[in-house]
Amino acid sequence: VNRVVRHRLSLTQRRYLIAVLLVLPVILLRAFTAFYPFVQTVLLAFQNYNPAFPPTKWIGLQNFARMGTDPVVQGSISFTIIFVVASTVFQLIFGMAIAILLNIPFRLRGIARTINLIPWAVPMVVVAIGFRWMFDDRFGMIPDILARGFGLHPRWLIDPLGARVAILIVSIWKSTPFVAVLLLAGLQGVPHDLYEAARIDGCSRPQLFRSITLPLMMPLIVTTGMFMLIWQLASFDLTYAMTGGGPGFSTSVMAYKIFQEINSLNFGYASSLGMVLFVIVGVIGIIGLVIFRRVQVSL
Amino acid sequence: MTTSQASSRAEVSTTGVRLRQFLGLHADRILTYIAFVLFAVVVLVPFYWIFISSVTPKYELFQIPPIYFPSTLTLDNYNRMANGLPFWEYLVNSLIFAIGSSVLSVGLSGLAAYALARIRFPGSNLVFIGLILSIALPQIGLLVPMFETFKLFGLQNTHLGLILLMSSLVLPFTVWVLVSFVNQIPAEIEEAAQIDGANIAQVIVYVMLPTMRPALSTMLIINFVISWNELLYPLVFAQTRTTKTFSVGLLELATEGSTYGRPWDLMSALSIVMIIPVLILVLFGQRAIVAGLTRGALK
Repeated sequence: VNRVVRHRLSLTQRRYLIAVLLVLPVILLRAFTAFYPFVQTVLLAFQNYNPAFPPTKWIGLQNFARMGTDPVVQGSISFTIIFVVASTVFQLIFGMAIAILLNIPFRLRGIARTINLIPWAVPMVVVAIGFRWMFDDRFGMIPDILARGFGLHPRWLIDPLGARVAILIVSIWKSTPFVAVLLLAGLQGVPHDLYEAARIDGCSRPQLFRSITLPLMMPLIVTTGMFMLIWQLASFDLTYAMTGGGPGFSTSVMAYKIFQEINSLNFGYASSLGMVLFVIVGVIGIIGLVIFRRVQVSL
Repeated sequence: MTTSQASSRAEVSTTGVRLRQFLGLHADRILTYIAFVLFAVVVLVPFYWIFISSVTPKYELFQIPPIYFPSTLTLDNYNRMANGLPFWEYLVNSLIFAIGSSVLSVGLSGLAAYALARIRFPGSNLVFIGLILSIALPQIGLLVPMFETFKLFGLQNTHLGLILLMSSLVLPFTVWVLVSFVNQIPAEIEEAAQIDGANIAQVIVYVMLPTMRPALSTMLIINFVISWNELLYPLVFAQTRTTKTFSVGLLELATEGSTYGRPWDLMSALSIVMIIPVLILVLFGQRAIVAGLTRGALK
């Protein structure tokens, strides 16, 4: 009996060993490129590390104090939050509209679904630069159409507000289709007989949407929104390729500001800014979790 | 008698009435198609603009108002792009980067996903949750320590370094999708194989690999697209001709100061070249991509 038990134990142990071996490469790679740098970033945030100006010293909270006097940081934090929240909200609204369109059975639906994936698939750099060309004050098509078609003369990339709106438009254009893909999958999961029953009870279409689709989709809408918020908080390529943070610093998001500080070799300061970004992501994550719990319970 | 009267009245009825009847009957379908056209135009016009710019002779690009339908089309821009830039080097680098990252990430994730979903060793849940949570660590915030580590290991300006970073970035999502996929495969086949005396390596190669093939190729496509589009890592860690990718090359063209100075002809041609591979993947792999993107969100 003893031998059998030992044999069986060693079998399970061997299975565990194999499992660990299979998972290990993933863990090591993540440790090397995410967990270890994370710890390092937290430590660096409290040092004045700049390779051009040794020696490196522990300076307590000075990096964070410096943010208080850095007008670009304050502008960046507020613009980042406004930008990320606004583009997520619009992406969810338009994404839902597109998802509803792509869920209607019509002859060109397959083509529509393929078209919908294209903005997701193309490089952000290409999109950013293409739109910069389209928004160009003199040679771009958007100012031209607005001027000749509607008599409007907004100054897109020269005026701070214009640049902010332009960046928001591009961000919405680029990522709404991805949101639509996720929401469409959710719509397809809503049982048909619910609609049938409600229609027999005489519900109008807006009523159907408000009392069936929306509540059932709420958990997915919240998770998608959270994902988009967190992902867009960290993205810098749109700003970098389209406006370079300008004019002035009007479109400088946190991620872009961090990149600039790294470029100026202010590694310690950049790390402390990175920590602020982590904290914002964390706070949004917790808020999202709370909302998620609530919408799930209300079902 | 009454029927003939009715029919004669119908003949008399004006086309306006008939149009109104038609609209009443098909209002839904007409609205759907209007929405579709609007949607398709908004999504596709930027691509039309980039494409048209890429085949317009350079002297016609800077016109006020812009020319929407150029009278002469030319491939000169592509010619200049292929000869003027280190085009072929960038192409090879981009392919190595995108293919390497997608193959490595899917390979590692496949093994890990099998272990996490099937063997369930002590702590496997913790590993899984830790991996998923690490999605929220913004890559820009981890850049400084990465920079140092890469210098230490001599990984700057190497394909290996770039591929390791990029794979790591997409690992969590890939593992997530593949775990949910493995969970849906009934365990009976594997158990039968194990009873027949197959060891874990044989089970993975002969049982899991064939059943997981659709999921693996889906993730290969998605990770290729994401890596092909990546800007930040190549921008920071690829500063030589031997490693620079298209995204970096395009951005470098775009950093010329004035609108006139910027080589829009080369930029639009390069943009089209960057769009083509992902466009092909979307056209042929639309279903697979959507299945992959939505699986993580819905499970």
